[in-house]
Amino acid sequence: MKIDCGSYPLMGGFDELLEAPGKPRKGAEGLCDYFAEMASDELEARHRAVDAAIMAAGITFTVYSEAGNIDRAWPFDVVPRIIEKAEWDRIEAGLKQRLQALNRFIDDIYHDQAIIKDGVFPAEVLADSKNFREACVGANPPYGVWAHICGTDLVRDGDGTVYVLEDNLRVPSGVSYMLENRQLMKKLFPELFARYDVLPVDDYTAQLYDMLAALSPRTDERPEIAVLTPGVYNSAYFEHSYLAQQMGAHLVEGSDLVVLDDDCVYMKTIEGLTRLDVIYRRVDDDFIDPEVFRADSSLGAPGLMRAWKAGNIGIANAPGSGVADDKVVYAYVPQMIEYYLGEKAILPNVPSYLCMFDADRDYVLANLDKLVVKPANESGGYGMLVGPKSTPDEQAKFAELIRDNPRNYMAQPTLSLSTVPTLCDGAIEPRHVDLRPFILQSKGLYVTRGGLTRVALRRGSLVVNSSQGGGSKDTWIVGGTI
Amino acid sequence: MLARVAENLYWMARYLERAEDTARLINATTMMLMDMPRGASFGWEDLLKVVGLDEAFHKHYDEASESAVMSFLIQDERNPSSIFACVRMARENTRTFREVLPRESWEWVNELYLYTSTHLNHALDRRKRFEVLTEIIRRRQAVVGLLSGTMSRDEGFQFMRLGRNIERADMTTRVLDVSYAINLPYQNSRAALELNLPDLIWMSVLQALSAHQMYRRHVGVHARGHKVLAFLLNDLQFPRSVRHCLHEIQFALDELPGAEPMRRLQGMLNLVDRADYHALAENGLHEFCDDIQARLADLNAVIAQTYFRAAHPQKMTQSLFSLV
Repeated sequence: MKIDCGSYPLMGGFDELLEAPGKPRKGAEGLCDYFAEMASDELEARHRAVDAAIMAAGITFTVYSEAGNIDRAWPFDVVPRIIEKAEWDRIEAGLKQRLQALNRFIDDIYHDQAIIKDGVFPAEVLADSKNFREACVGANPPYGVWAHICGTDLVRDGDGTVYVLEDNLRVPSGVSYMLENRQLMKKLFPELFARYDVLPVDDYTAQLYDMLAALSPRTDERPEIAVLTPGVYNSAYFEHSYLAQQMGAHLVEGSDLVVLDDDCVYMKTIEGLTRLDVIYRRVDDDFIDPEVFRADSSLGAPGLMRAWKAGNIGIANAPGSGVADDKVVYAYVPQMIEYYLGEKAILPNVPSYLCMFDADRDYVLANLDKLVVKPANESGGYGMLVGPKSTPDEQAKFAELIRDNPRNYMAQPTLSLSTVPTLCDGAIEPRHVDLRPFILQSKGLYVTRGGLTRVALRRGSLVVNSSQGGGSKDTWIVGGTI
Repeated sequence: MLARVAENLYWMARYLERAEDTARLINATTMMLMDMPRGASFGWEDLLKVVGLDEAFHKHYDEASESAVMSFLIQDERNPSSIFACVRMARENTRTFREVLPRESWEWVNELYLYTSTHLNHALDRRKRFEVLTEIIRRRQAVVGLLSGTMSRDEGFQFMRLGRNIERADMTTRVLDVSYAINLPYQNSRAALELNLPDLIWMSVLQALSAHQMYRRHVGVHARGHKVLAFLLNDLQFPRSVRHCLHEIQFALDELPGAEPMRRLQGMLNLVDRADYHALAENGLHEFCDDIQARLADLNAVIAQTYFRAAHPQKMTQSLFSLV
């Protein structure tokens, strides 16, 4: 099926490629022409080739079910999403600003808590935080940076404004799919790249390596870097192994590590023990060190926190960074930016109602059918109420949850997420998307060129998570057509 | 190199070698079948003995019919040495160390798995068997070639080399031992019975190991007992001979730390080097092959002890296999 700009059924919201029926946005003309010229069977053939390439490459994620764990191919859509470079530059500046402020905040929280003393951030939010780690108080990670890798979810509303939806500061995933998507597009649509100047994305792994290397306590030698994975049954295992491979780093599991009395971390190798300098951990705080956190965890290594606090190992993200990955804390990021950096936030937050405040809570309870209600600490799109799509029963259940634990809930207006043309069962239709760029910070700051565009493949759905029927697209930052 | 990764590489290479060797053995057997008079019975039981799986087979099946034996050797997951089980395990192992191999090798192992899982059913049918198994051999060889052409000769490479050659040497002694001792079914073929040529018996052994062509080229057209034994046990150049495998193991150990595995290897090298193959062709072959198999099992244990111990303080190695 051709992309016919004239008959494409715009949904009334903001479409990333088309301004109006038959009228591509600036930068998207070449893409629309290209797909319009392509015969429908040719497009279908390429789509099938993409699926075959994904299966062969084993680009999968794991879905857990009672029938066992299934490896699903990563659902990929061939129509890219385009963002003009001028707009992207502003977004990039906003993302850097945001992560800097968040890191200042985390460091402050684990030291003086000046932001609370100055009355900018409420003490009770911190008191009830599930992700605050007592064990991290007073720790001094290099450069005062805690969250080294941040995946920030951006959405565009009906009027074209780009909002920050949330900051993922624990173990955000998806970057390998961003890199793979580009590889797939280059293999399948080489001639498209001849028409466009698309900013390359593949220096991410080199940037990640440099960022991690800067955390090494032994500055005089080539650092030993490892990606710590929960193991092959983790849904993001593909990404863990992919990143280790791309960086030439070790891929380790907790059982491969040991911390000795000298408070240094060692890997168990064929020659005995080898000292490790930096861990990019993809294991949650709770599981990284049974001496300090969950004692029943076998995913981490006993003594890791000791080694980290002694400054003998770099850990990214630092334990405790999750304190800022909280949908209530999120609401305060604009204030943090003003407080720590003395600047106005470049990227706006989605307006948020915090149920811990009486006025906000009353408003939320009265408007459950219109709002999206989110628990403060969940990720992956779980535990949410999407008001306009919910039943009265579900609303009643959430009203109760909110009254029982107001601190744990916040609500936002239902945004009309922007759409991108997507190949669905042989027809091109609009589907809702978000965007997750990845931001790195240690010695320096870096933002991916674009990010992972996730797309809700079900008609009308706003849920883009891969565990719930989401797919992805290649994301192009373009300077202009040729 | 992480001990866990080294161990997985070692086993991945063993699994793939075993899958290929089994495929070759089945292809050779199927070809032999066509020489038999119609209606004649064939000793499928004996084929199971060759690969040391007769006991495991009878846990699940009563009668060793062609379809049962083929199913068990080719696709039955209850048999950890079936072709499908080996390919699947190799793929699962490869997943855990994708970062140490060139990227394409994971893709090719994955494709081998996808092909195997979708086509193995056809291999139960004699008409398609040769084609499917040959394709599996071809794809497995492609993986070997890819690694050979794109991977640094680092420690990871050496562990795969170790696994591949220990597995291969073991398979050679097994086929040699059992096939001669139990009158391998091929030997009852019409030609053998009618012409009664001792040649043919030994030729069938060579064929089961895909060694007949190189034997003819480098030794001669007549398959004499002592010459076949010397070729399969002590030839330096033929890649499936025990001696060649031992040398490959030696080259791999040269690149790795630790002295004990090398010491054990030396004993085996002396054994094949000093054997009297004329005498062995008359008697004592079974004991000789047993000895080598026991020494390979011992070498396997020493390798695990030397390199993989850190990965599992208690568990010694992946002990799924009955062969070693």
